Amino acid sequence: MTDRPHTVVPPVRARHIGASVPRREDPKLLTGRGRYLADTTLPGELQMVVVRSQEGHARIGSIDVEAARASAGVHAVLTAAEVTPICAGMEGALAVEGCETTVMPLLADGVTRYAGEPVAVVVAESRAAAEDAADRVLVDYESLPAVTDPDAALAGGPLANDTLESNLALSGAASYGDVEAAFASAARVVRARYHTGRVSPLPVEARGCLAEFTWGTEELRLWTSTQAPHLVGYFVSLHLGIPEHLIEVLTPDTGGGFGLKAHVYPEELLVCIASRELDRPVKWVEDRREHLLASIHAHEQLIDIAYAIDAEGRITGQRLDALGDGGAYHSIPWSMAVEPWCGAVMNAHGVYDIPNFEYTYKAVATNKSPVGAYRGVGYMSGNLVHEALADEAARELGISPFEFRRRNVVRSLPFTNPQGITYEEGSWAESIDALERLVDYDAFLERQRRGREEGRYLGLGISVFVESCGESTATSQAFGLGDTYFDSATVKMEPQGKVTVTTGLTTQGQGNRITMAQIAADVLGVEIDDVVVRCGESSKYAYGTGTIGSRAAVVAGGAVMRAGDAIRRRLVQVAAGMLEVAPFDIVLEDGKAFVNGAPERSVTIADVATAIYYDDAVRTDGFETELEVTTNYDPARPIFSNGAHAFIVEVDVETGLVRVERAFAVEDCGTMINPAVVEGQIRGGMTQGLGAALFEELVYDESGQLLTTNLADYLVPTMDVAPPFSFHHIETPSSHTPGGIKGMGESGLIASPGAMLNAVNDALSPFGVTLRRTPMTPERILDALALARA
Amino acid sequence: MRAQATDSVTVAMTVNGVSCSRTVSARTTLADFLREELELTGTKLGCEHGVCGACTVLIDGASARSCLTLAAQADGREVTTVEGLSEGRELNRLQASFRDHYGLQCGFCTAGFLVTATELLASGEAVDEARVREVLGGNLCRCTGYETIVAAVLDAADAGQGVRR
Repeated sequence: MTDRPHTVVPPVRARHIGASVPRREDPKLLTGRGRYLADTTLPGELQMVVVRSQEGHARIGSIDVEAARASAGVHAVLTAAEVTPICAGMEGALAVEGCETTVMPLLADGVTRYAGEPVAVVVAESRAAAEDAADRVLVDYESLPAVTDPDAALAGGPLANDTLESNLALSGAASYGDVEAAFASAARVVRARYHTGRVSPLPVEARGCLAEFTWGTEELRLWTSTQAPHLVGYFVSLHLGIPEHLIEVLTPDTGGGFGLKAHVYPEELLVCIASRELDRPVKWVEDRREHLLASIHAHEQLIDIAYAIDAEGRITGQRLDALGDGGAYHSIPWSMAVEPWCGAVMNAHGVYDIPNFEYTYKAVATNKSPVGAYRGVGYMSGNLVHEALADEAARELGISPFEFRRRNVVRSLPFTNPQGITYEEGSWAESIDALERLVDYDAFLERQRRGREEGRYLGLGISVFVESCGESTATSQAFGLGDTYFDSATVKMEPQGKVTVTTGLTTQGQGNRITMAQIAADVLGVEIDDVVVRCGESSKYAYGTGTIGSRAAVVAGGAVMRAGDAIRRRLVQVAAGMLEVAPFDIVLEDGKAFVNGAPERSVTIADVATAIYYDDAVRTDGFETELEVTTNYDPARPIFSNGAHAFIVEVDVETGLVRVERAFAVEDCGTMINPAVVEGQIRGGMTQGLGAALFEELVYDESGQLLTTNLADYLVPTMDVAPPFSFHHIETPSSHTPGGIKGMGESGLIASPGAMLNAVNDALSPFGVTLRRTPMTPERILDALALARA
Repeated sequence: MRAQATDSVTVAMTVNGVSCSRTVSARTTLADFLREELELTGTKLGCEHGVCGACTVLIDGASARSCLTLAAQADGREVTTVEGLSEGRELNRLQASFRDHYGLQCGFCTAGFLVTATELLASGEAVDEARVREVLGGNLCRCTGYETIVAAVLDAADAGQGVRR
């Protein structure tokens, strides 16, 4: 590994790591001083409004923009006629076998392929003026057949996107072991088809961007509510021909992202084009209707899964066929492929030791908004099918869901699976036992039994998971994905010993500034209040691949640790000279450099820093003065967190309503940097999962119209339906990441929809009802009960 | 005579204790008035449909969706926004409780929760967890899972900013 130093991190003594240190941005955010994209204004800025397709699939005849151009306050109306010559669109595909490329135009050119697709933009003095003018843009649509059903799209028929040869935009398969023999010799086979509904990540702050192109210097500054500013800058340079050194992408305070903001969208390029054309700053702030129509959709898959089970209740074989309903184009850059591919390939067998398995992954183009990455992308649906089928198997076998999982879980780690992936460490089996204790299973069974006597239907659902985290080049290569990552951090100590850390990874509320400060403080031996962290606020500073894939803590943490360690060594060298001992005798801690074993012999780190800046006497031969170091990090090997989540619910069989009594989380993300942050991520993720399982669904009609375009129709969990939580933490450190940290930003949403499905099915088991479709709305529950009674 | 959307109206109100008057187009919402005319950007717009609650402000002490309220409707009234909650440069008890309980992550919905909770705690009504969850059930948060917000509000009530049942 020494020939790849960017994969190696130094050891660290945890002092601030492990404490629930409060975040420093909270007073600002609590007093209304946060500055988000819509709060960011430039002198002379104009407002852009997008005219969006009213049709799911249509040929665009003419676009009459004359009335709009003549409207008061309007500076420009742009259509494909003006924009396509500048940029013909963004190519999208996932770098995996069997993925066909699509090109997403910035503005629909001759044909529109989903309702909400950008068709024209109006730029005006005010948003109101732009919206008035947008109403006067007359688009002549000639309807084409809309493709809205993924099974039908797969079977053939009309094309959703006529640039593809068929609707099949992704297709791949693999087989490990002897699956046929496993099924032929099985004592029983359980099989089911599950359908996870189409949802929106729905950050409370929608998207937005503000571009300022400066004629004369040819520089572009782009403020955007994004998780991946370097990615956005790269695409702007690539597609608009602006040299990368003249582009700065800035991220203001960001109101949630959850993956939705880890994409590049047409609007981000359109504001740049408009600013360059008009010589004025141009801003676009998405409204909620646009957000639901045209920001990425997520998580919808149809998955057929079967387990071959032997006489002892062990899974000996698995078949899985994942089909994604991808929308009209590949989202940029993650594509419609990422959902079924991740589910089938990266989460092939859950936590279970299945010696023989095979999978297919497919995605079809449909006339819907593009599907992209949402927290737990692929993993959620993949986990749901493993866990739901585990419960169906347990019911058939007449054993408890805990017992079925104990019989099948990988019992000893490290474990190299049939794909050749090595899972190095974790608490897979232990987490099942811990969850059983946390939910007090025997007591629950007694309550459930008594409840049923009274006509009350309680259910307990569990979901055990392993999560790939700290997304890296190594992870990508291990799973056959052609993505390359690294991230950087700059650590700078100033003359009075204060520290500025700049990471390439952004934050959307996760608390990355405080967790990175905790790491930097421990590496350097300074107090946490002496560290300030800037998280990806400008693409001009440290490089980042994006706050995605549960990677910020691990990857930004590793970069901070490596850069901090370079400065630490310099401080040690100078402190050793000042204290007249050898460098290996120096300890940096609590803001002091002291002699190991003789803490009274010390100098403050501030004095050491001052000396490096201003005292030539400390500069021995060959000494490098710089106290500003930038280093990179890319984890050496794949990293996996694990855990087990559960819900207890009560289903009202008269109304179909599900009351969620309590949520439970056993979580093992290695060393916890900040437990409050970890628990915050779990609560938020599990609540999103609860929403996906019970309430949230983006519904299209057969003509490709989205029917759920406001928050009264697209229902997200509110406080009155969200449960209290119980936690149990297990810490199994990684052997090779900074401080043993593992990522965990997605786990809450990976596991919880499956747990909720299992909880509702457990509650309804006396009726012989098994739901396999999310969300489990009251209507669907009542329909299932009616069907069972009929 | 009915005003047209683009007609101008002059509105005067007291915002966070300060009197102000502006002439704006009649269709200007209170949210846009606060954010654009007064540069009080602490009030956020999350849906502009009156559902998410991020834009909640107090008008004469009663919570209102500023995205669905015209500025003209607040003429002559007292408006309180998140910027008016803190005590000088100190967090008030409720704000400090949100910080202590990790009751916020991205912070975008936070102003709406603080303002709605302020109305509840000022009402003199005795609160418990169920009541907090009911009253704040009209505000959406996508980050926290709500439990820490509930704890923050109850803790503020315990500390005398309101009444705990």
